[in-house]
Amino acid sequence: MKTLKQSWAEPYKIKMVELLKMTTQSHRRKAMSEAGFNTFLLKSEDVYIDLLTDSGTSAMSDHQWAGMMMGDEAYAGSRNFYHLEEVVKNIYGYKYLVPTHQGRGAENILSKILIKKGDIIPGNMYFTTTRLHQELAGGKFEDIIIDEAHDPENEFPFKGNVDLEKLEKLIKKYGAKRIPYVSMATSVNMAGGQPISLKNLKDLRALTKKHGIRVIHDMTRVAENAHFIQQREKGYEHKSIREIVKEINSYTDGATMSAKKDALVNIGGFLALNDWDVFEEARNMVVVYEGLHTYGGLAGRDMEAMAIGILESVNDNHIHARVGQVIYLGEKMIEYGVPIVKPIGGHGIFLDAKKFLPHIPQDQFPAQTLAAEVYLDSGVRTMERGVVSAGRKANGENYYPKLELVRFTIPRRVYTQAHMDVIAESVANVYGRRNKIKGMKMVYEPKYLRFFQARFEKLK
Amino acid sequence: MKTIIEPFRIKSVEPIYFTTKEERKAILEKAFYNPFRIHAKDVLIDLLTDSGTSAMSSNQWAGIMQGDESYAGSSSFFRFEESVKKITGMPLVIPTHQGRAAEKIIFTILGGKGKYFISNTLFDTTRANIEFSGAEGIDLVCEEGKHPTIPALFKGNMDVEALKKTILKLGATNIPMVIMTITNNSGGGQPVSMRNIKEASQVCKENKIPFFIDACRFAENSYFIKLRENGYANKSVLEIANETFSYADGCTMSAKKDAFANIGGFLAMRDLDLAIRCRNLLIITEGFTTYGGLAGRDLEAIAVGLQEILDEHYLQYRIRSIEYLTNKLIAAGVPVMQPAGGHAVYLDAKEFLPDIPVDQYPGQALVGALYEHGGIRGVEIGSLMFGKYDTDGKLIPAQLELVRLAIPRRVYTQSHIDYVSEVIIEVFNKRNEIKGLTIIEETPMLRHFTAKLKPII
Repeated sequence: MKTLKQSWAEPYKIKMVELLKMTTQSHRRKAMSEAGFNTFLLKSEDVYIDLLTDSGTSAMSDHQWAGMMMGDEAYAGSRNFYHLEEVVKNIYGYKYLVPTHQGRGAENILSKILIKKGDIIPGNMYFTTTRLHQELAGGKFEDIIIDEAHDPENEFPFKGNVDLEKLEKLIKKYGAKRIPYVSMATSVNMAGGQPISLKNLKDLRALTKKHGIRVIHDMTRVAENAHFIQQREKGYEHKSIREIVKEINSYTDGATMSAKKDALVNIGGFLALNDWDVFEEARNMVVVYEGLHTYGGLAGRDMEAMAIGILESVNDNHIHARVGQVIYLGEKMIEYGVPIVKPIGGHGIFLDAKKFLPHIPQDQFPAQTLAAEVYLDSGVRTMERGVVSAGRKANGENYYPKLELVRFTIPRRVYTQAHMDVIAESVANVYGRRNKIKGMKMVYEPKYLRFFQARFEKLK
Repeated sequence: MKTIIEPFRIKSVEPIYFTTKEERKAILEKAFYNPFRIHAKDVLIDLLTDSGTSAMSSNQWAGIMQGDESYAGSSSFFRFEESVKKITGMPLVIPTHQGRAAEKIIFTILGGKGKYFISNTLFDTTRANIEFSGAEGIDLVCEEGKHPTIPALFKGNMDVEALKKTILKLGATNIPMVIMTITNNSGGGQPVSMRNIKEASQVCKENKIPFFIDACRFAENSYFIKLRENGYANKSVLEIANETFSYADGCTMSAKKDAFANIGGFLAMRDLDLAIRCRNLLIITEGFTTYGGLAGRDLEAIAVGLQEILDEHYLQYRIRSIEYLTNKLIAAGVPVMQPAGGHAVYLDAKEFLPDIPVDQYPGQALVGALYEHGGIRGVEIGSLMFGKYDTDGKLIPAQLELVRLAIPRRVYTQSHIDYVSEVIIEVFNKRNEIKGLTIIEETPMLRHFTAKLKPII
């Protein structure tokens, strides 16, 4: 017998609201063209529902706001730092903490310490800023995610898994000495928020241990990954999110964290390490880039909000409602026949732009085009995750990723079910007139991370 | 009326935790005689820095609640941008998570081996960022600025003749930037005159060298110009600030000082090409161009704070409170930098502790004594912060051995300040009991933040 859909009612009520501005179609047309058809360049006041990112856009709880008022803004030795340090140790299980103003601050420091020129960094799919920091430090990223991850329709439950054979081949080819660490992400963002299984992680640990290679964890959405393990992996159905998170981390040697995702804050991140020597080096370097090691470029209040947010993020009810809302939106889109990445991931819905707009070739930016069209239709702002985001190789050639996606990321605790309905209806609307949509050309391209600032024009 | 009152009242308080002298003695030992290693809760009066430690106003807190946390195009950014433009007149504004991040970006782009950055005096993180890029930093403060206890009106001025000579010697093409720090922090929070800013800017223009302002304390500097420089008495602080920035090609700012913010900073400039290069780098290490690694709410707090600082009642109160403490100490014969600066009182540790040689770090020893006696946390600005070793491992001392007691903005009351002066005077009377220190562990760069020391017995 088919079980009834489990309800995912929010384990909170609303305490404070932020008013939204409704926009007209002609207003949106003007705004989009001023923004060069790049959703990053839109002003937030021209946006109705903002799904650009789930990063830093969460609604904080009243506890977190109370923590904001308890900020100790002392330059050195702030008590908020010691609170955060204790929470990271207890919840995540890492020994040493270096706070940073965001995740990319931690990536910058880690890459500079561990990567030497000519090194290879294998990882379960690239992420824009992560790969760039690896490259700037002289390393080269190699994708070792399983092939299923590149197929939007494959419903394999753990599409974030590492292909251990691919990793073994790399070790054989380059030697373990040239691989400073494996960059392992939980809830793989570019694959559509897909989880890695604990079994796969254990096997990865065994293999890397044999060769003396570190595993560094991109843990920004570790709790969402833990939820999928709880739902899908045998032996974990009765374990709490908190237990699973700690077990995941126990198979790794350190982590970079953007606390702007799972940890429910608007700013902040950290580098967590188990190795004292690497930690000591990181602590010295953080002063130059971020701030003294007891604040890392964050206000004391933000460290406090982060400590409380981490505790809230590993609550089973919270994660259940969070992922439940994402799945609700995804299933609505499937009902409308819209092609999306399956299975539905933890933090957003990813439209398959290649299938949505099959008549637009990849060098005419189908995902960028689709993101612009959705905004024009309803004022919903999304993000391209395809050829524009992938950027160029060192030799100047474009990367042509297999996945050409538009990401609808759902901020945590911000939007309601009615907002989700509006989003799905708007996408269905655009889908209805998809044959009339034309591609675009790029008219301005920055050197690094071009997706942020590139400008486009519609093809006639 | 003689008494100058604060142009505000208190809306929210934070408790202070008391400690005994015995407890502090043990804490100091455990912190290896380095104030950066002491937990904030163990400090009674925290004068470690005026950076990021201000009390925000109720208007700023309201801004905090209104922060627009959108990743791109946040309305808070546009309010922030407008506020910065109103003061600096610079068309291109780039937010960063703090001042040092703004410096990091500009020096990464313009620095490198064989380059020289000239300043009146570079601050510790500024110098570190320059050296990290492979370039060298050169300080050319005026002669008056080198003598702590001799008063002069604008001791932060740059020696413009020396600037001309240095440009001739090194070649203008090897100097990517001249930086005027206002007020001059390492030199005692001393102001720079408008005339000096104008002249230095002129020399830079003639040599096609970009002239930047390190604007952390631009309002305090502007107020000193109003008080002390001919022709400015009737101008508003905003007008003086506008004129100051009009001579510059760009500026870096830590908003943790003269914008009353607990976090944040920015870069502003006129050159679009340079701004594009800065923004590309910004995205890699800081964040997208409309948030630069800051929460939307912090952009709001800066936007509001930048306008509040221009209030002359506030600036009068601010400058006079520093003067109040300085004059109390002078009256008791304590050697302090004169005249009073804009944000801190600087004790002259060489004169305070003449028996402790520079390689035993008299400034750091004095910092320890102030903490032990009264729970006051200050910071050494001397050979621990700026000292270097020659090839034989011998210490090359800094020019001055100072202890800075930086006063956070709007945080402490007159009775706190009275207490501080009593502690300093008591320590001064017992100065013969203070012992020098030796380093037992240090890092090659910015060692003062983490170094471990012990007393020489």
